[in-house]
Amino acid sequence: MLLSFPTAGGLAKQVPAWPERRVCRSVSNAHDIALTPTRQREPREVAHALRARPDPSRRPRSLYLHVPFCFHKCHYCDFYSIVDSRDRQAAFVDRLDREIQAIGALADQPPLRTIFVGGGTPTLLRPDLWERLAASLRTNLNLSNPDLEFTVECNPETATPELFDVLQGAGVNRLSFGAQSFNTAHLKTLERWHDPDSVPRALELAHAAGIRRVSLDLIYGIPGQTLDEALDDIERALALGVTHLSAYALTYEPGTAMTARRDRGEFAEPDEDLEADIYDAAVARLAEAGLGRYEVSNFARADHECRHNLAYWRQEAWLAAGPSASGHLHEPDGGSHRWKNVPRLDSYLRDDFEGLAPVIDYEAPDALRLVAERIMSGIRLAEGVDRIAILDAADRAEPGAAARLQAAEREPRERGWLLERDDRWVLSDAGFLFADGVARRFLGVLRKVGPG
Amino acid sequence: MTDLQIRNFSIIAHIDHGKSTLADRLLQATKAVSDREAKEQLLDSMDLERERGITIKASAVTVSHERAGESGPEPFMLNFIDTPGHVDFGYEVSRALKACEGALLVIDASQGVEAQTVVNAYLAIEQDLEIIPVLNKIDLPSARPDEIAMEVEQVLGLPAEDCIPVSAKTGQGIPELLDAICTKLPAPRAPKIKQARGLIFDAVYDDYRGVVIYVRVFDGRLRIGDKMRMMGLGRTYQITELGKYTPKPNKVKELGPGETGYLVAAIKTLGDVRVGDTITIDHDPAPEPLEGYAPPRQMVFCDLYPATTADKKGGDFEEMREAMGKLALNDSSFTYQTVHSEALGFGFRCGFLGLLHMDIVQERLEREFDLEVVQTAPTVPYKVDIRTKGGEVEEIEVHNPADLPDMSSVIDIKEPIARVEVMVPKQYIGDVMKLALDRRGIYKNQTFVSETRDLLTFEIPLAELIFDFYDKLKGITAGYGTMDYEVSEYRKDQLVKVDVLINGEPVEALSLITHRDKAEQRGRTLLVRLRKQIPRHKFEIPLQAAIGGKIIARETIKGFRKDVTAKCYGGDFTRKRKLLEKQRKGKERMKNIGSVSIPQEAFMAVLDTGE
Ligand SMILES: Nc1nc2c(ncn2[C@@H]2O[C@H](COP(=O)(O)OP(=O)(O)OP(=O)(O)O)[C@@H](O)[C@H]2O)c(=O)[nH]1
Ligand code: SF4
Ligand SMILES: [Mg+2]
Repeated sequence: MLLSFPTAGGLAKQVPAWPERRVCRSVSNAHDIALTPTRQREPREVAHALRARPDPSRRPRSLYLHVPFCFHKCHYCDFYSIVDSRDRQAAFVDRLDREIQAIGALADQPPLRTIFVGGGTPTLLRPDLWERLAASLRTNLNLSNPDLEFTVECNPETATPELFDVLQGAGVNRLSFGAQSFNTAHLKTLERWHDPDSVPRALELAHAAGIRRVSLDLIYGIPGQTLDEALDDIERALALGVTHLSAYALTYEPGTAMTARRDRGEFAEPDEDLEADIYDAAVARLAEAGLGRYEVSNFARADHECRHNLAYWRQEAWLAAGPSASGHLHEPDGGSHRWKNVPRLDSYLRDDFEGLAPVIDYEAPDALRLVAERIMSGIRLAEGVDRIAILDAADRAEPGAAARLQAAEREPRERGWLLERDDRWVLSDAGFLFADGVARRFLGVLRKVGPG
Repeated sequence: MTDLQIRNFSIIAHIDHGKSTLADRLLQATKAVSDREAKEQLLDSMDLERERGITIKASAVTVSHERAGESGPEPFMLNFIDTPGHVDFGYEVSRALKACEGALLVIDASQGVEAQTVVNAYLAIEQDLEIIPVLNKIDLPSARPDEIAMEVEQVLGLPAEDCIPVSAKTGQGIPELLDAICTKLPAPRAPKIKQARGLIFDAVYDDYRGVVIYVRVFDGRLRIGDKMRMMGLGRTYQITELGKYTPKPNKVKELGPGETGYLVAAIKTLGDVRVGDTITIDHDPAPEPLEGYAPPRQMVFCDLYPATTADKKGGDFEEMREAMGKLALNDSSFTYQTVHSEALGFGFRCGFLGLLHMDIVQERLEREFDLEVVQTAPTVPYKVDIRTKGGEVEEIEVHNPADLPDMSSVIDIKEPIARVEVMVPKQYIGDVMKLALDRRGIYKNQTFVSETRDLLTFEIPLAELIFDFYDKLKGITAGYGTMDYEVSEYRKDQLVKVDVLINGEPVEALSLITHRDKAEQRGRTLLVRLRKQIPRHKFEIPLQAAIGGKIIARETIKGFRKDVTAKCYGGDFTRKRKLLEKQRKGKERMKNIGSVSIPQEAFMAVLDTGE
């Protein structure tokens, strides 16, 4: 003490005269995952992966495009999107075109099976820009598959006959509408700006334009929402004749306005029991209407599943373009590359690596990691996971891993959450609500998984 | 040229009224530091002090000053001690005062007399010190020096015209203050005996020189090379270095009567020194020691455990033990001993001067030693009369509810009572009265301060005070109320231990001692908090609060219904996987009681008084 001269200057003085009540640091919070923004890097490995030639069954047959514009930020949303005040739509489409060219030049060219354009609000792109984007896809990629599923996410408020004609002309044959709720008060809670009546109108326009396959997104568990109100949303969706429906429990993502409002005490998170009751009732009602649950939160008539999302959940390979888009490509000998394009539009527009975008969160091939991910996402599907194939892959990745997986399957099976059917692990009806618990159980024995 | 004259004084004040800044100005005005060196709060050298902007340790410096006298300049040696303002460190103030003849009582001229101003002034008056009231911050537009001078007279009985207005920021009034220090403060008393006697008023640990003792010499002389003796502990050491902080350490050959300085003597640990002890010379010892002071009393206790449960004494526990030892080297008022808890494994029961002190120690553990700790709710020390097997009555001190013996052997539980001074704007008096009475307080006195404020005095059980009394006081007085307290005595009351059972198993780390009338409410609030903090499990978990086996409150945590995230984040599986991994790790870090996993923050649930 006092023997040396302090070097730091006087610091801001903001001391409570009494210590503020302090509680030990929070331990774990399901929602509170902070993906520390890794510094962006050159997409060197991505270029390498695009050039690699894995066996034909593992070549990318899907493409995700991200359009980052919205006219307003919904409070629950943590997708990368911005309210663009500088009109960078044309610059964005130029840049996206270069990225698509680069991908087309590097990648093997089997015909694509699925394209999904998400956002943001892709339908905010002006029709002329949509035409340019469609041309870019046609020129650079193989769209020869007559069975191509081409989905665009659509905000019902943005639907116009002109836009839908352009989309239809571009080959779009599936629209996914963000309805979220038909109740104005609940839409207001979410700060989701659209008139619920715009949803049926948009569906009619789609129909008129000849786009036959439509899906609706709903959110339940909105603060203040009752069981009956949630089921009423489902009825309204069914009444519109949709053949695909996604119903997501409202999730409080870190950094969103919704989470901040909850933390400020503006409203309470709904009771877990209520959410589970809504879920169970929705599953039953949708099944009765012919929409089977094919993933935890996704329901469809037979053959109306979203094939693009199925490719994700089955951990197939897919291409990705646009800010914040995540891609996945297999190595010829097991393992896979994962990356995410830089999210910030500024960086995306500015930094150009022979057309490719800078990446963040790059993960190098790791066969054991891929096993964990196949279980993690596959278990959420009604079809489940091919048990034999997984055990086989696990042992090839790390001898002994299969035995550990077999030991891990015991507990969820005893609880009645996990079944073995035709050599596949599938969740029981009760098990769907515990999919994460089951996945954690398996992940726990695949220790090497990921760095942190 | 006249002889060198000495003045010893402390700077005391309510927190933040500007003691350390004033000390800076005195250093600058006496050329102890150059204008270039003059940084803010020079005497606050600990990282934490500078970061929090508060003084934690008292610190003594010596400067020289020349007063323009009638027959030429008169040289003065000024020894002064900057003291901490926070009530937890009141002990530091008391011992600083013992080394002085005078005190500068600093009062913020826009805030006025506050609770700690009063308590610190009382401390100085008790020790017969000459007080110079200093009205600081007169540069502020909101300064009201004349009104505040009246408050000083009204509350403390010091004449308003004695107040010296200054600005520790601009330096205005500092020359006048220096004059007053030389003129008004008494010279050190004359030596009473020829043998040497010096009072140890502080001691710090230095990595290079071992213990550095702060000493005020009253009689005789201490010289380098002397073999000194600490009269209380009876230990002897060779003095290897003497000096004064100016504020750089400046070595001297000897310290004479009235002087203050430091002493180094190859003493290895703070445990070998008792602050308040008297130093004399071994070959010619003083017959009597100086009047010392009682060691500091730890008034808040809590357990600290490594965040990862230590079932065995190893790993993190050992690291933590080492850290505790190092902290205690620097902080003689912090105590610790090993404990073991069913739920939390091996850890330490620690004693602190107050809540801020506790906070600071915990922060240092985490920052300087990179340890993650779990802290149990703080409690005050109780004195318990028990009947022993032999039938006699014995008094034991209990620092944790878990240590309370079986209630059948307990005769009385006594708790520390604080005398509390609350400075409050008049319109809030009713609310403050109500708050104090709700906390089992006894109203004692009301003093007129000014047209707008009064000083209220209460006796309140310390246990009711330490948790959130201050926050509540701030809340109901729009931030204007201030308080200070001193523990005055122990008193018995209808105190009971409330046990908490989770899934049928008692969890000692969650038990609490409270007044019988409040037991039910505390128990219920605690269970509600626990219900919110303990995650749902696969099975139902009953929570119960009980007094001596009788259940007084219950809650249930239902078995969980779902464990699934709705979305899979598009193609971003990195994120999804990391989320699952993180949840899994979180589970591993919980503490397990039977088959129930309890998050660490639940152990602080006891703090919630439910008011
Ligand atoms: N305007 C003005 N501000 C001052 C003056 N004196 C001190 N301050 C400010 O008041 C605050 C508190 O000053 P300190 O000197 O740290 O107060 P302290 O009494 O030592 O505080 P503790 O040691 O924590 O009790 C700081 O922000 C100072 O810059 C003054 O004369 N005028
Ligand atoms: S429209 Fe969709 S992407 Fe845009 S802010 Fe709302 S939820 Fe997010
Ligand atoms: Mg200070």
